[in-house]
Amino acid sequence: MNGFKAAFRAELFVMLHNNAARFLLVMPAIAVIIRAIAVKLSDNARQAQQSLSGGRSFEDIASSNAWGHLVDSLSIGLTLLSLSLVAYAAWSFSSDRDNGALRHVVIRTTNRMGIVLAKFANVFLLALATLILLGIGSALITAILWDFGPIVEDGYELISSAEIRQEVALGLGLAILPIPTALAFGVLVSVSTQSATQAITTALGITLAVDIFKSVLGSYAYYIYASFQPSLVDRSYLSDVGRLVRGYSDVMVDTQMLSLNQWIPLPQMLVFIAAALVVVRFRKL
Amino acid sequence: MSKEKALDPTPLRVEKLSKSFGDTPVLKELNLTVETGAVHGLVGLNGSGKTTTMECLLGMQPYHAGKISIMGLKPEQLYKHAGKVVSVFDSPSLHPQLTVKQTLEHACLLCERPARTPTQVEAMLGISQYSQYKIKHLSLGNRRRTSIAQALLGRPEFIILDEPFNGLDAGGVDDLLNLISRLNREEGTSFLLSSHQLPYLEKICSHISVLHRGRIAVSGHVSRLFNAQHSRLLVHCDDVVRACAIVQGMPGVEIEDNSYPGLLTLQLDGVNPALINQKLVEKGIAIHELVREKPSLETLFQAVVATDPLPALEVEI
Repeated sequence: MNGFKAAFRAELFVMLHNNAARFLLVMPAIAVIIRAIAVKLSDNARQAQQSLSGGRSFEDIASSNAWGHLVDSLSIGLTLLSLSLVAYAAWSFSSDRDNGALRHVVIRTTNRMGIVLAKFANVFLLALATLILLGIGSALITAILWDFGPIVEDGYELISSAEIRQEVALGLGLAILPIPTALAFGVLVSVSTQSATQAITTALGITLAVDIFKSVLGSYAYYIYASFQPSLVDRSYLSDVGRLVRGYSDVMVDTQMLSLNQWIPLPQMLVFIAAALVVVRFRKL
Repeated sequence: MSKEKALDPTPLRVEKLSKSFGDTPVLKELNLTVETGAVHGLVGLNGSGKTTTMECLLGMQPYHAGKISIMGLKPEQLYKHAGKVVSVFDSPSLHPQLTVKQTLEHACLLCERPARTPTQVEAMLGISQYSQYKIKHLSLGNRRRTSIAQALLGRPEFIILDEPFNGLDAGGVDDLLNLISRLNREEGTSFLLSSHQLPYLEKICSHISVLHRGRIAVSGHVSRLFNAQHSRLLVHCDDVVRACAIVQGMPGVEIEDNSYPGLLTLQLDGVNPALINQKLVEKGIAIHELVREKPSLETLFQAVVATDPLPALEVEI
């Protein structure tokens, strides 16, 4: 345990002095802030155009509500976060093996399995910090540019703020759950491949391939953790929440999917970590 | 604590270590022991398996058979020594994005009880002026110095160095040789060094092992190994034919070469060169010069390799 603690501290030291990790920490938050400003400018231009030609439509009302933009920001930020951190997790072990730095940890501090766990714990910590920054950044920028409030049409409140908040929290929670599994997958790829370049391309390649082709699997796709993540081909509950908070009432909540979303990622994460711990025992360092 | 006391204090004990890459055996029942307080050199041809041996010892790659004990622990348990055993690899094995100072601070985190500060080891290795430089911007020699510096933070008892002189300039080699001598003398640190640089090893090693064709062909204390070798005597004289006739048949004397005019090369086995000189002078041979070639690591190495040369097909060009 002492060895793991020392390895964790040493890995944290390296991560804190790594420009790539610093960049990944702020990148999703900065990306969603830039995007929100661009959307606001575009909305203003469209509204100016429409004010010359007539009244406001329902879409305008929904678009001026901050909730939809907040969910969009979180969804895009989480997509960036999971892709970039899968790549970082894949790079973490393999790059240290490439440059040989891993050897000193094995000789002096902990065993191979301890290093894998220390790497995973550090990537998890980075994901957590990135997520917090993303949440703060998204909330701040949407609060500055738009107003939070209930969805109202013709004086009738379609969805109250409390209901929206509850749905956003649920959508966000369900979207965050698969992220540790994605990181564990990155670590497994990192341990299994021959070089850092191979690890990054393999991890990103498989992640994107699963994302693109998951619709082919039909309902079986919900037995893969990646189906619940916000992604390029988004089927997560957060994307449904995005439509819900814009007043679209046709959003159907699939309770079985919600249940799978809660129970599938964690066991898969444990499987990936266990596999990484087995593979690392037989690898040349 | 009692567990630590029970551990074997011998720095390294290897018994019948075997390792293959596919169908190609690299190490064949290799035996090697490094005594406490020894500076043990491991020499061998390119591809003889020195680095593979080092990596097996340190648990970096699996081996197929045999027993390795490093201060009483198996290679995969080395971390339990908490910095008493360290290694400097043939490549510097450092995080390229860290500065020298950060690298040493990072190494401190890996040590249970750092016995020296980063500033102290920087001064020991002469890299204080590069403290704020990133590793990726350093020359190979300075990266190697940094690698050695981080190994010394925890006051190790056994240091394994793989090709430590690569990339070092002449001054750097001298500094490293002095450092190894000092640590060995003052702190009793044991060393295992693998290198191609035979003259450097000869200067510093108390013990030598020659790795050839996957086995330790020769191993032991340097003085014993050198004494066991035949010494050569070069006799520059006016009449090689007569000189040959005089020394022929003398016990412990073998004529190696008499084909050069005025030069007779002899191999002596326990014979004092003064005796040869006396015999030749008594018979009226004019001796211009008598040169005794002392046994060296190079001659020892060449002798070992010559007894069992590699087949031509195995030599990669």
